[in-house]
Amino acid sequence: MTKPVDSGVITDAKQRYAAGVLKYKQMGYWQPDYVPKDTDVIALFRITPQEGVDADEAAAAVAGESSTATWTVVWTDRLTDCELYRAKAYRVDQVPNTGAGTSTPAQYFAWIAYDLDLFEEGSIANLTASIIGNVFGFKAVKALRLEDMRIPVAYLKTFQGPATGIVVERERLDKFGRPLLGATTKPKLGLSGRNYGRVVYEALKGGLDFVKDDENINSQPFMGWRDRFLYCVEAVNKAAAATGEVKGHYLNVTSGTMEDMYERAEFARSLGSCIIMIDLVIGYTAIQSMAKWARKNDMILHLHRAGNSTYSRQKNHGMNFRVICKWMRMAGVDHIHAGTVVGKLEGDPLMIKGFYDTLRETHTDMSLEHGLFFDQDWASLRRVMPVASGGIHAGQMHQLIHYLGEDVVLQFGGGTIGHPQGIQAGATANRVALEAMIMARNEGRDYLNEGPQILQEAARWCSPLKAAIDTWGDISFNYESTDTADFVPTATASA
Amino acid sequence: MMTNPQQRITQGQFSFLPPLTDAQITAQIEFALRQGWAVSVEYTDDPHPRNTYWEMYGNPMFDLKDPAGILMEINACRRTFPQHYIRVMAFDSSRGWETPRMSYLVNRPDKEPGFRTVRMETEGRSIRYTTERLRSGD
Amino acid sequence: MDTTPPPPTIDLAAILRDTQVQEVLDGLDRELVGLAPVKRRIREIAAFLVVTRARQSLGIEAQAPSLHMSFTGNPGTGKTTVAMRMAEMLHRLGYVRKGHVVSVTRDDLVGQYIGHTAPKTKEVLKKAMGGVLFIDEAYYLYRPENERDYGQEAIEILLQVMENHRDDLVVILAGYRDRMATFFQSNPGMSSRIAHHIEFPDYTPDELLAITRSMVAHQNYHLDDEAMATMREYIAHRITQPHFANARSMRNALDRARLRQANRLFEAAMIGATTDAEALKTITAADIRASRVFTQGNATEDQ
Repeated sequence: MTKPVDSGVITDAKQRYAAGVLKYKQMGYWQPDYVPKDTDVIALFRITPQEGVDADEAAAAVAGESSTATWTVVWTDRLTDCELYRAKAYRVDQVPNTGAGTSTPAQYFAWIAYDLDLFEEGSIANLTASIIGNVFGFKAVKALRLEDMRIPVAYLKTFQGPATGIVVERERLDKFGRPLLGATTKPKLGLSGRNYGRVVYEALKGGLDFVKDDENINSQPFMGWRDRFLYCVEAVNKAAAATGEVKGHYLNVTSGTMEDMYERAEFARSLGSCIIMIDLVIGYTAIQSMAKWARKNDMILHLHRAGNSTYSRQKNHGMNFRVICKWMRMAGVDHIHAGTVVGKLEGDPLMIKGFYDTLRETHTDMSLEHGLFFDQDWASLRRVMPVASGGIHAGQMHQLIHYLGEDVVLQFGGGTIGHPQGIQAGATANRVALEAMIMARNEGRDYLNEGPQILQEAARWCSPLKAAIDTWGDISFNYESTDTADFVPTATASA
Repeated sequence: MMTNPQQRITQGQFSFLPPLTDAQITAQIEFALRQGWAVSVEYTDDPHPRNTYWEMYGNPMFDLKDPAGILMEINACRRTFPQHYIRVMAFDSSRGWETPRMSYLVNRPDKEPGFRTVRMETEGRSIRYTTERLRSGD
Repeated sequence: MDTTPPPPTIDLAAILRDTQVQEVLDGLDRELVGLAPVKRRIREIAAFLVVTRARQSLGIEAQAPSLHMSFTGNPGTGKTTVAMRMAEMLHRLGYVRKGHVVSVTRDDLVGQYIGHTAPKTKEVLKKAMGGVLFIDEAYYLYRPENERDYGQEAIEILLQVMENHRDDLVVILAGYRDRMATFFQSNPGMSSRIAHHIEFPDYTPDELLAITRSMVAHQNYHLDDEAMATMREYIAHRITQPHFANARSMRNALDRARLRQANRLFEAAMIGATTDAEALKTITAADIRASRVFTQGNATEDQ
């Protein structure tokens, strides 16, 4: 019996483990009757099978390649409790609006369950080595995208989670009930440490809570990292004294080695900075290390999602950003850039709500229209503060608060530094717009519709806000999003 | 004197807006009560950004239906401490929060002397910073 | 030709309709047996409040009316029920913002030692803001025999708030008529701030019987004819005895009768009787007759 059998799971052990090649379905990776355990990790993939490969077999192949299988039968399986370790594809649905009659090749959502014992505790690297390891290059699928994961409480409890979290961050900053305001220093590259600190001081004194290094500001010929840190901390402290508020600057400690990152983080701590920053490109393990360091050193940890769009933007291949949100909450960052809805970067409002909920809620319910495929209990892992950055300005304040809520950092880089009356005025305009809008919201006004009017009312006594609205009031970025929901809510009979 | 554009301490949710009227304060308290939060009144003559514990003007007020009682306390506190900073805070007791959810100033002294930065030079170019409170007359 | 515009008019019926105050008045009629004079007074107050609203809307009336009240009468005459309805009515007419009732007695307001009373009273007042503060047996706040009694402190705070926070809450003082009269005599400040005095008369025997009948129906029981006659007799006795508390006494009497009925059915079952739904619902004359009201002429049972 060395020839592949066409269909059906082979239950007879002698047949099943005879040398040769079997279909993945026959090897037991497709189990439509399987009921996932509470402790299983569940992954939801979007699969575009190769021509001639049926959807169940493609799902089984993905399950196999992301768990125990190899291309041929191995007798050594029988030395293990292989039934347990085999991932089980248990459900396959065709994606709406794909396949025959559409312009998109047929795609399938495949639900695959993994036993908890497949993963090392507290290790994103180990989790991802399975789930997005070899399988993405696998020939049986034309394209593959990881859309969502259900992480069981049992596994979440092995992760530290955010070093600080929204609650403690706000308590440390003594700032409650409104979004925080930030800005990224511009130009991104070329300023000397001394000139760079000037921008930080002006923006913080004018009313921002945070200023931020950009993702590619590390230690370049025009500005060494120590100079940047020294001047930025000077600016932060001077601005705190000028305003009586806690202020901060995300000092980017991203560098070539862990040793360098620790050295930079230690220096930031020794200067009294309350927050440091890393880039997503440093890798999952480095992120987890920095999160542990941050927890130990009372430091807020800001993560810039540099690089994510290389794999999160296209709908048919890679992974959805909501999975990155989940992994980063587990890995332990406190801030993560998660979209603006109205700014210059990719972001469908419904999808972004899904990201924000994933980062901030203690429990999220399944909600297909927001791209959430599972109920997820966060097991009291702290809340991550999302950051909205990129092409946003004070004139959009009502929309930003409507879409993003109050637990968010709104970053107005150009919208602060590019203000016609100067950086302080730019910062003041943003802060006045923010406070006026929060006040109106709390008063029960229809602030989304009355937003422009609320801003005009404030602009009457705040000339920096007036100048901001006059300069940017009409700027908007209306492009189609590429990452959109596959499901739209249907109207109920009563609606 | 404070040197920031607002020329005043900018702590709290609404420091960049004109001083709140009683009607505006009432509307904000109403918002807090609708969320089921307990509201408290706190005062201090030391608004240092790291001074977490202002004096409580009575305990946080639980189980109130209407803002009028809280406004009564705010006004009593203002009468007693007209030259102090007074803030209103709202506390959320729900799981996963259990922390203040609102904080805004409702009273300031006539003169706000503010702070200065004290620098202590240490190794290399490093500086240890202290934010020091100024008093009227400093 | 007269070119001046016609004087503005106002539709009182529309105010009544829009605020749905009539519903509250109707509810009161349905809910409470008798109490004709009370209902009349409440209807007067409602009319007064509607007219005041109208005067305010035309700019004739500037000042908010004082609405603090006293409800006097014996226990069980419906004071608390009427206070709830009053709060609802004041809320619908926009005289209180939330319409809840906070019901307290002396112990909730007055402390045990120095410095204890003011915070306690203020705490209660803050909770009542936006609604109605109902102080039962209000005269206990005033104890002239003890000149260091902290009740006086509570009264002073109350007076202040009743004066300065007319828009924020309505205070209703309740208690026995004669004792309230004495209280007002010794506290003229309090007396002058009470705008409406409502007297709750005792129920007549017929009204008490009607109340009992409605309670019985409400609990899915019924009294057979003989039981009804016995009940009438019971009421005639009970009224003359001490600690009589009107409707409350009727409720207590009924509770005892239900216990006796249960006991009677149980004993019958022990000797083989079958029990049907009718039996479970019926209270008989014997269940009432066994009361000590008949045997001892002294009703200690329903205290």
